[in-house]
Amino acid sequence: MSKRNSGQIRIIEAFLAIFIIFSAITISAGLTTKSTATENSNLASVGLQVLLQLDADGSLSAYIDAGDWSGMREALNLLLPVGVSFNLTVYNAEMRQINTETVSNGAFSGQEITLVEYVCASRNPEFRYYVVRLYLAVAK
Amino acid sequence: MKKFNEIFRAKSSGQLLIVAALAIAILIASTTMYVYELTEEKQAQKDGTIGDIVLAIKTGLRNTVISALANASKGGEKTVLAKNLETLSSAYRRVYQYGICQISHKLLNSSEYESGIKLSWTNIGLGISSAHVAFTLKIFDLTSNITVDDAVNVTTAIIVGGYYTVNGSNGTKRVSLTCHVLNEEKPAQAKNITIYYEGFGVWIPISDLSTIEWGNGTYNLSFTVANASDTVHVSVHLTDARSIFVMANATCSQA
Repeated sequence: MSKRNSGQIRIIEAFLAIFIIFSAITISAGLTTKSTATENSNLASVGLQVLLQLDADGSLSAYIDAGDWSGMREALNLLLPVGVSFNLTVYNAEMRQINTETVSNGAFSGQEITLVEYVCASRNPEFRYYVVRLYLAVAK
Repeated sequence: MKKFNEIFRAKSSGQLLIVAALAIAILIASTTMYVYELTEEKQAQKDGTIGDIVLAIKTGLRNTVISALANASKGGEKTVLAKNLETLSSAYRRVYQYGICQISHKLLNSSEYESGIKLSWTNIGLGISSAHVAFTLKIFDLTSNITVDDAVNVTTAIIVGGYYTVNGSNGTKRVSLTCHVLNEEKPAQAKNITIYYEGFGVWIPISDLSTIEWGNGTYNLSFTVANASDTVHVSVHLTDARSIFVMANATCSQA
């Protein structure tokens, strides 16, 4: 009788262990997913803030109008946090790519990439607008 | 013995209940915590994203107004503002597929503004080039509905005043002008200044213009003219750093 009871207790202990392990796995999996999503969202926000900062004084459209791609690369290098890789593509209203040079600080290698899409209106008296696509990734 | 077994079974069932309750509590607590935190995070991210989009659209509208004012102040049609705003709105509708994005604008039409643009270039030393657009931005998606009412005002103004002194030797006049440049009532920088004076009924450009920039939107301009009349009529043509043109005429008397 005592042996049978001890068997039941073992089963209960086993169940308890399974529950605890299952809970731990669930919580840690949830936290991992959340931290990745947060990281990507923060990166998109940082990218949008940088483009906004450049556009606020008309610099963004001035770089594009002048075709000053190296200047734009330097500006992005300065404004984006260290360790963030970027690749920028500029399209005109007909969605044709207009940047003749690559505006990037290095290639992406297997990182999760975040896209920021931005409409940039030119201050030029002859009105134009551009669609700027900024790809971002945290360098690992 | 039978009594002992009954007591033991009762004891075991109590333990089982406690363990089961503990397990269920852990499950419920972890699930609740997870769902709550995820919802909170998603809401914060969403608010941030919408705020950034509103700011981006406002910046785009402002740049469009600057572009249209620069065009109209250089002789372009005033209707260019409405046309450009419509083009930009359609671009936003196409690109921002975050939710349904609607931008409606209202151009100021009054005694001074026509199609949202005012070009008031006077003969009393004050010149104003201005544009005003009121807009309503609506962003709809499944869970939120945001409406932003705001206005964009872009104004470049100059205030010109001055006097002249007569050069004793050859009778020419040395004209000294002070020009204040303002963007939205704040000191601003000029990109280009050209001055004309009226001689024999025509406006003659100044060739020996001497300029001192004080760095606070104030410019001291001086030049020499050969003019027989008691007063010197001058016309200051200025383009600011945003390529918006403005002009003002002024009359200078002897100091």
